[in-house]
Amino acid sequence: MTQAMAELKQEITIEPRSYYREAIDKLIRRPAAVISVSILLLLILGAIFAPLLTSYSPIAGNIAVRLVSLGSPDHFLGTDEQGRDMFSRLLYGGRLSLLVGILPVAIATILGTFIGAISGYVKGPLAGLLMRLMDMSYAFPAVILAIGITAALGPGMKNSIIAIAIVFTPPIARVAEGATKQVVVQEYVEAARISGASNIQMVLTQVLPNIIGTVLVYSAGLFGVSIVLGSGLSFLGLGAAPPTPEWGYMLSTLRGSMYVQPVVVALPGFFIFITSIAFNILSDEIHDALDLHEM
Amino acid sequence: MMFYLVARRVLATIPALLGVSIVVFILLNALPGDPLVGLLAPDATEADRQVLAESLGLNDPLPVQYINWLFGVFQGDLGQSFSRARPVTTILVPAFRATMALALSAAILGIVTGMILGTIAALKPGGIIDRGVGIFSMTGLSVPSYWLAILLIIVFASQLKILPAAGMAREGSGLLNFFRHLILPAIANAAVTVGLTARTTRASLIATYGENFVTTLRAKGLKATQVLVHVWKNAAPAVMTVAGLQIGYLFGGSVLVEPIFSWPGLGSVIFQAISSRDLRVVQACVLAIAITFVVVNLIVDLLQITVNPRLRRG
Repeated sequence: MTQAMAELKQEITIEPRSYYREAIDKLIRRPAAVISVSILLLLILGAIFAPLLTSYSPIAGNIAVRLVSLGSPDHFLGTDEQGRDMFSRLLYGGRLSLLVGILPVAIATILGTFIGAISGYVKGPLAGLLMRLMDMSYAFPAVILAIGITAALGPGMKNSIIAIAIVFTPPIARVAEGATKQVVVQEYVEAARISGASNIQMVLTQVLPNIIGTVLVYSAGLFGVSIVLGSGLSFLGLGAAPPTPEWGYMLSTLRGSMYVQPVVVALPGFFIFITSIAFNILSDEIHDALDLHEM
Repeated sequence: MMFYLVARRVLATIPALLGVSIVVFILLNALPGDPLVGLLAPDATEADRQVLAESLGLNDPLPVQYINWLFGVFQGDLGQSFSRARPVTTILVPAFRATMALALSAAILGIVTGMILGTIAALKPGGIIDRGVGIFSMTGLSVPSYWLAILLIIVFASQLKILPAAGMAREGSGLLNFFRHLILPAIANAAVTVGLTARTTRASLIATYGENFVTTLRAKGLKATQVLVHVWKNAAPAVMTVAGLQIGYLFGGSVLVEPIFSWPGLGSVIFQAISSRDLRVVQACVLAIAITFVVVNLIVDLLQITVNPRLRRG
């Protein structure tokens, strides 16, 4: 009798766990998710602590040892066309390349959530106009819009980050708007409204906390595209300025040496690829862990 | 009914095209970048600058400039390329044809390969082939096309020496030669499309396999291949939507691939225009690709309406 009671009690006192806590618990049990997070952390730490990991300058080269192959005693990842150590340049290059992968998505997420939440909540002609403005970007392939904006603003890392952020804002706004429209018809939102919450309070306390999960999951899927696009702009000569190392720009300047030192030439692109695929696998794993099955 | 549906879809492209023209105009004229950059000699005085601005109509109010520019575009006048000293249109037209050849062949290659891979993956979900296709699709989605292009040249042109590394075949040098030059750029451009189409096909087929009518077909005693045909017919609209959008995107994707192969299309024109700071040419290419994107999406939608009876009911 007492044992049965104790069992019952144990059953009742299951600790409540948050949705996010549970999702993270599921994620760390997935090997693919753990591996991709580890790779990303390694790349980010390598970029941050580059000065501690290599004694070579990423900018000053030694012409006497230009285009040394992989595995040479002094330069284990070889040297580039100006005799600069590739390992050093790849580590330092990660600073800009990873930045252009992450920052535009972060900016676009903030902007897009804001725009989407407002136009989903307000529903006036102004909100409609805002979303039609966003729709304009759907008439362009993303690469082309990013190239057009960067070319107009003038080449440079800052402008390519701005351009990619502009390209990503409309789709995020659309997701946020859709999520907001689903939230505002819920009864708890009605309850908050009846109890006298102001519009600002409504958006901040009722709408935002309930759409942010959906938006973040969507945004997570953009990191991989962002780094390929950002490095692509540098590859075209619209991003990083010489001699600053950046993976896309390195690939572009090394291109001329592909018949001489093919493996060294391919290295910067390999880093862009590894970063992009790690972000994409992680995004897939998040979808699976949260059980979001969409097409 | 169908007429209204088609008419409505065609009319819907007008605001899209108007939007494109406004965005491209803003990119060229209203952003902080200097529209006269590259047009003036380095030792030009402020007076020279004013004369040039006046002659190009840059002192007019923006809406007036926009209308004038738009009329020019309708008459095929996209201004002068200062770096090549000839009308932008004469550069654009041959380049557009080259890009179209590349984008359409990449689309066919990518969509067909993706559909085949997605189908064989869906036949046995969770099996070894399915996993293989999954990894392959993920790789295709993530690989930077400009890097894949370099890898392909290293392997097939530099090491194996079986395919040309660059250029487009001269007209009249034979179809085989044309395809030999086309294949590497098309593969590099199609990677994302293969990955996306394979994933969509697989997901759409697996979802359809779970529907009740499939059980009925099997109970009726249909062979697996006959069932597949029925399942494919039902899964096709979702696949076509995603694949159709890809055709338009491939026109944009060409830009990152063409310069590597010296493919004489819009991408190579943009690449050269960027290095010579010829903003007018960049914007003309952006305009051409965006208009193509809108029109291609319209054609794909109209095809969908004619092929899929469910859409016709509107």
